[in-house]
Amino acid sequence: MINLRDKGAEIWENWNRPKRTTFTLIVIGIVALLPYAASFGPTSFLNTPITSFENVLVYPVGMFVLMALGLNIVVGKSGLLDLGYVAFFAIGAYTMGIMSTVYGFNAWEVLPFGMGFAMIAGVLLGLPALRLRGDYLAIITLGFGEIIRIVALNIPATGGPNGIAGIPNPPAVAGVKFDLPNPQHFFWLVLFLILLTIWMIRRFTVRRPGRAWEAIRQDEDVAALMGVNTLKYKLWSFVIGAAVGGIAGVIYASKVMVIAPQMFTFNVSVLILACVVFGGIGNIWGVAFGAVLLAYLPERIRFISDARQLVFGLILILMMNLRPDGLLPRKKREHIKHG
Amino acid sequence: MNLSVIASEFPSLLLQGTALGLIYALIALGYTMVYGVLRLINFANSEIFMIGTFTSMLVQTAIFGYPVTAKSLHGFQLIFVLVVTLILSMLACALLAMLVELVAYRRLRARGTNRLASLISAIGTSFFLSESVRILTGSRSKSAPRLLEKWSFGEFQGANFRIDTVMSIVAAIVIFIILNQFVSKSHLGKAIRAVSMSEENSKLMGINLNRVITATFAIGGLTTGAAAFFFMVTYENTVFNVGFQLGIAAFTAAVLGGIGNLQGAFYGGLSLGLLEQFSSAILGSQWKSVTVFLVLVLVLLIRPSGIFGEAVQQTRT
Amino acid sequence: MAEKLLELKAATIKFGGVTALNEVNFHVNKGEICALIGPNGAGKTTVFNVVTGVYPLTSGQILFQGQDLAGKKRHQVTKLGIGRTFQNVRLFGDMTSLENVLTATDVHKGSGLLGNLFGTPRARREERESRVRAQELLDFMGIGNRAEQLAKNLPYGDQRRLEIARALGTEPKLIMLDEPAAGFNPAEKIELANTIKKIRDAGYTVLLIEHDMSLIMGISDRVAVLDFGQKIADDVPSVVQNDPKVIEAYLGAPTDAS
Repeated sequence: MINLRDKGAEIWENWNRPKRTTFTLIVIGIVALLPYAASFGPTSFLNTPITSFENVLVYPVGMFVLMALGLNIVVGKSGLLDLGYVAFFAIGAYTMGIMSTVYGFNAWEVLPFGMGFAMIAGVLLGLPALRLRGDYLAIITLGFGEIIRIVALNIPATGGPNGIAGIPNPPAVAGVKFDLPNPQHFFWLVLFLILLTIWMIRRFTVRRPGRAWEAIRQDEDVAALMGVNTLKYKLWSFVIGAAVGGIAGVIYASKVMVIAPQMFTFNVSVLILACVVFGGIGNIWGVAFGAVLLAYLPERIRFISDARQLVFGLILILMMNLRPDGLLPRKKREHIKHG
Repeated sequence: MNLSVIASEFPSLLLQGTALGLIYALIALGYTMVYGVLRLINFANSEIFMIGTFTSMLVQTAIFGYPVTAKSLHGFQLIFVLVVTLILSMLACALLAMLVELVAYRRLRARGTNRLASLISAIGTSFFLSESVRILTGSRSKSAPRLLEKWSFGEFQGANFRIDTVMSIVAAIVIFIILNQFVSKSHLGKAIRAVSMSEENSKLMGINLNRVITATFAIGGLTTGAAAFFFMVTYENTVFNVGFQLGIAAFTAAVLGGIGNLQGAFYGGLSLGLLEQFSSAILGSQWKSVTVFLVLVLVLLIRPSGIFGEAVQQTRT
Repeated sequence: MAEKLLELKAATIKFGGVTALNEVNFHVNKGEICALIGPNGAGKTTVFNVVTGVYPLTSGQILFQGQDLAGKKRHQVTKLGIGRTFQNVRLFGDMTSLENVLTATDVHKGSGLLGNLFGTPRARREERESRVRAQELLDFMGIGNRAEQLAKNLPYGDQRRLEIARALGTEPKLIMLDEPAAGFNPAEKIELANTIKKIRDAGYTVLLIEHDMSLIMGISDRVAVLDFGQKIADDVPSVVQNDPKVIEAYLGAPTDAS
């Protein structure tokens, strides 16, 4: 049975720098052209019935990929089950909603705030929660996600059940407009953020933080005894994951222009988790692939769309039973040196 | 914030809180017993409860054929219908619990995959069940016929001793007593306790681990099914996601009382039910869930072993 | 006068009704190879666990280089200079041998997440140094060629050696080995004995738990004996070997020869 990832990794290893760079640029180029695929003859089968393909690329596809990458840092790399990831997304979105409609900030100005508040929330939640073992951490994070939603539902500042409307699109940058007729610009923005996140994750992985997280995931007690400050690293993975969620939230709010508490339910946390699990826990490409598939298919195929949550639940069960490592499992390449 | 309500409504809140709390306690048993033997949270128990409520309703509307507007029953007919409903709810939940164990937990246990996988699998099961019911029954709540006329034994200082309230309380206590006897005296009960204490040693003693675990799930299912029945008698309607809030509350109750522990489930449930009633009255019912979660967080941080229990696994940093 | 590197003073730890260690007074001198022996369940691994901060003492003190270890978290104890291996091999199975040792050599590095993210010169230098050091340690333990192999795929003997290499990675002053010879054949045990001597000669102090008497008697400077959580002997190997209390602890009272 060919392991796709290993095969791919093998080919990659055999290329030199220039080859790798060109390949990467070509792939990014192709992805960047996706918004035009629906109107381009041969690829027009990709078009989605209800929402236009270009918009689908931004939400849910792009957003899910971004958030799945963020959650992957927490669940996949460090082995911490966070069931309340939607909370960070919500905090980012509501920060955008409130700061823009009440104080007149634009999306670019809100971005650091959205990220910052989400990170603060990550610390506040993490400090108590990360001392607990797996299952309890899961329940507490679930609770946190729900608390954020209930607070948003009940206090006047967030607009209660009606949420916040009239959130402005981000102002144009160098002539590039981010408004209703230009969903492809949003897509490129999200694509940029995704690439940035991937870069960041890869930087960590091959170095000390990645090793520390991996050690914590495999055997936390031994990791601590080998000198790894487990609380610090767990907190960091939590906070970084939160930051990504917060950023996604700000962009989302500024695109859809109306947000309400029912957009930030536990279901969303489970959906993102399904993306991470489906593709391959811990594995960037697997997670991205899983997110693309799970976000896009329900939009394309009506039948799945109605029973979307059902399918996601089924995926969680099936994946854990049959292929707990995901579709593109993370496998290390071994080199056996003789001598 | 309405503090004066405590004084004026105290007996009523006490009574309602007790009834609600004991329903929580019965559901909590589903969590606590499974945790005792597997050291895993049975995430799907909330949906087992939900299906129990629908079973209760369906037994009355589909099997007995009473429409939602049916007039209440009396005498032997009433008792017969109620008993059959109760038994079928309990059985349905027990069977479902055993199925969940098979699907979500057993295979993963045999493989020795990490707990993360088991938990995710349980979440998937939970999701699958609630979504299936939503597709079948719709997003709006469904009502059950009022077959039991809600007459009252009488009032005392504002506390209304209605038949359904009293029934829930009495039945729950009876169930706990029976279960307690079962766990301490019966062969299977002792086996369950042995596995809770040490899985390794139990296997060495020749205990059939799979049977014990299946039995534990089944018992949790029975009590959860009973809770579902009493819930339906009291509230008379249900919806596909009724399990979510109640599940978290029941789990919190289990942790509050001390997870892995029968007594803990009882007193934890009782305490949480009372807490919820009183905080609802003071703060307003929209903050109910938040109160429950805060209780959970506080317990896990300050006294993780709960009132009666063993220490929750903590990471030592 | 030998300097006491590690010292346990009246160390007591109770788990519920069981007293695992009972007023144990014990020390390890700098630069020596000290062995901790005793029948199964005597409390030897418990000593390791209280020293490394896994369990807190019920009463008594543990001093390392004169510093009280009370309340120190596990990673802090490691940073102070205590490394250990485990009775059952506990490697990070899905990481390569090199990566296993790297998690340990990372301990004393100063660069944190931001440094690594932005690739500061310091972070890059420390990463290079870590890798060099990790490879050195693998070579030292004779498994240099296993650097890129997954730890779980190594043969048993190499896994044990990797555990020691990893423990050495934390730059310990005291390295504690928990039954390092378990599962080894006689030839491997001789090799291990030489390795332990090499470790001591390189400047580390060694505390080891072992059951193999000839191994212990051959290399230890001192032997301490635990039985039922209490220290019953503490002297040079030749004296301890002939101590009637020690013999009784291992073989039982003269009348029940089993």
